[in-house]
Amino acid sequence: MTRVSVVIPVKDGERYLVELLDALAREGADEVLAIDSGSQDRSLEIARAAPGVELLEIAPGEFGHGRTRNLGAERTSGELICFLTQDATPVSGWLDALRAGFALDARVGAVFGPHLPRADTSPMIARELEQFFAGFAGPDGGPALHRTGDEPFLSNVNAAYRRDCWEQIRFRDVPYAEDQAFGRDLLAAGWLKAYHPGAAVRHAHDYGAVEFMRRYFDEYRGLRATTGHVEAFSPLRALRTVRAETAADLRWMRERGAGAGERARWAARAGVHHSGRRVFSALGSRAERLPAGVRTRLSLERRGDGDGASVAAAVPPPAGRPMPPYGADAYADAARVLRDGPVPLLDPVPGAAERERLRLALVVPPWRRGSGGHNTLFQLLSRLERRGHVCSVWICDPHGETASRRAAVLRAEINDWFAPFEGPVYKGFDDWHGADVAIATGWQTVHPTLLLDGCRARAYVVNDHEPEFFPTSTEYRLAEDSYRHGMHCIAASPWLRDLVAQRYGASADAFQLGVDHAVYAPRPDVARRRDTVVYYARHSTDRRAVPVGLMALAELHRRRPRTRIVLFGTDRPPRTAFPYEHCDVLSPPQLAALYAEATVGLCLSLTNFSLMPKEMLACGLPCVELAGVSAESIFGGDGGPLALAPLDPVALADAMERLLDDDAEWERRSRDAIAFVASHTWDVATDEVEAGLRHALATAGARAGSATT
Amino acid sequence: MATRTDSETQTELHQLRARVAQLERELVEQAERTERIVAAAQRRTYWLDRWHLDLDALMRRRMLALPLDTGFRGARKLRHLLQRVQRRLGRGS
Repeated sequence: MTRVSVVIPVKDGERYLVELLDALAREGADEVLAIDSGSQDRSLEIARAAPGVELLEIAPGEFGHGRTRNLGAERTSGELICFLTQDATPVSGWLDALRAGFALDARVGAVFGPHLPRADTSPMIARELEQFFAGFAGPDGGPALHRTGDEPFLSNVNAAYRRDCWEQIRFRDVPYAEDQAFGRDLLAAGWLKAYHPGAAVRHAHDYGAVEFMRRYFDEYRGLRATTGHVEAFSPLRALRTVRAETAADLRWMRERGAGAGERARWAARAGVHHSGRRVFSALGSRAERLPAGVRTRLSLERRGDGDGASVAAAVPPPAGRPMPPYGADAYADAARVLRDGPVPLLDPVPGAAERERLRLALVVPPWRRGSGGHNTLFQLLSRLERRGHVCSVWICDPHGETASRRAAVLRAEINDWFAPFEGPVYKGFDDWHGADVAIATGWQTVHPTLLLDGCRARAYVVNDHEPEFFPTSTEYRLAEDSYRHGMHCIAASPWLRDLVAQRYGASADAFQLGVDHAVYAPRPDVARRRDTVVYYARHSTDRRAVPVGLMALAELHRRRPRTRIVLFGTDRPPRTAFPYEHCDVLSPPQLAALYAEATVGLCLSLTNFSLMPKEMLACGLPCVELAGVSAESIFGGDGGPLALAPLDPVALADAMERLLDDDAEWERRSRDAIAFVASHTWDVATDEVEAGLRHALATAGARAGSATT
Repeated sequence: MATRTDSETQTELHQLRARVAQLERELVEQAERTERIVAAAQRRTYWLDRWHLDLDALMRRRMLALPLDTGFRGARKLRHLLQRVQRRLGRGS
């Protein structure tokens, strides 16, 4: 059996030391080392009297949470090294549970267990401990493995380490929170950690209210030193939190049979406790701003300036900003896919691709009103649903952008802002129940979709070449990576289909964006002007090349100062060298009216061709777009009804001027535009996407077939 | 031991395929029922969710539960009573 050493740092710990050493003897620890750093009570006497306990005495000044534990590990020889604090008493079965935790996987470097409240522990702490540790358990409440990207929490109140792992990582010599730092370092080094609910200790925190506050001051001061964490503080939010936490404490007490009198007695104490916690945690993480004397007085451990210097010395080298625009959770899914690969698909079912009705799960990022990409997705989904497919929407939102909107509200938004949808909307994947095809719809949804189980196939509706949305960055690389996991791509133009197929080797189909002809159509009731250029000047979207568009319009204005210029698509009017009318973000009927009135439309895209030029064409408005990007794949080499021009302000101004000057050319292009776009409907687009989804199913089946032969 | 003919194998294969197709249909129908129920619940709870109201939590508070429950039930009874009176008056005229 694996040999186990237990290390207990001790200072004035007589209160629980006897029962702790007794419990260790009962549990059968092979080696127990108590390291005393200057006890004035009976701790030394107790340790000396306990059979099988080795005592090491160090000077108080030599003590350090990380340093002393490293010393303990060096002085012992067990393959597993357990650390307990002097007030943590193992419950029966503790050691077996720790061993079971390490047996879960050979890569487990550390195992920790829950801290149970003692009988005299306050309800605030008891509830917090219970709820806090329950969060580390597996779905069934049992043991759980934690990997890179999971919560790095570890607590040396009650934790055990594989010696190999400790030797590789060792505790940092930090004044506080050495365990948290170890947890982070361990996961970063590729080890796993395990939580085992059976490896529990009874742990006392029977401080008075003021002592609690000072302890929080120390804890958050340590966290600032080791992790850089600064606790946010706002009085209003603090009040709300205190109210909610106090109510939760009282509810918790009631659920455990506490009477009204007892609850009333604790209510005030709970309020003080949570208020103090908010204030002192904020103070602790800003301790360096306080005068040295105040710092020392607020610290429970009386750590003052001298220690302040060691805090600064202990700060690890900066590791850069870990969270650029997209948060840790999004990276965690990508990391899992890169490490373990996608979750396998279900075995294929013969004829699945031809089945009349499919279960389709659309995985989407959060949306805003007017989002063009989401409009495309929901127009398609609405029609797929009408064709009898069983459709659901799953919102992938690792950054909590929809935190304040519940699923029912999000569902209503789809119906109000985009297209009719009868199915359900789910936030996150807690209720995931499988699908014939799980459909990713943006680079950030791909890795989470690859981790969904119970799927027959996965497909990727690609609205644009998203790596181009980013400078060279993690997002750029992850967006590129999204095309490389064997998902069948259904791209929003032949250009995009060819790009993902040729550059990334993805299997791909294409669909043509549809136009809502009920809205975007010639308007005999609106008089067409002969002097108006309308420009989609959404400068917040880099791929729209707005600076070039504005330069082209400036050139046009220089040549034809009387031409009326209208900018739309942004609520922030851009600064220009020419006068113009600004129209904000318009609704579809407003856009249709604007297109019906205008003479020339200008809409540029440096990546995939977008819906807007098609909508202009559907209204009989000739449109100028960029040549040599993606429009030719839809409209042919000469651009068909579109007037194509290179990314050059003068050439773009030339193209607009021709349309303004040459009535015959304008008439021809307007007529051709209406005729060309007539066949581009959402129903046709849905035909193409449905064929792509069936292709994804057939491809998955064929791959599985070839893998088994 | 008797060997199976090609024809028997084909028949069995055919039957198995039909059975798989039937099970797949049942799975889709079951999924459709489930999704419909969830969607209907989301439709019904729209305003509660929009206002972030949790009726369960609200009604767990005894101070509120009793008057609210009594009030709603009373209002419902009153409505039924009025409807009954209206029907009788309608018959009488």
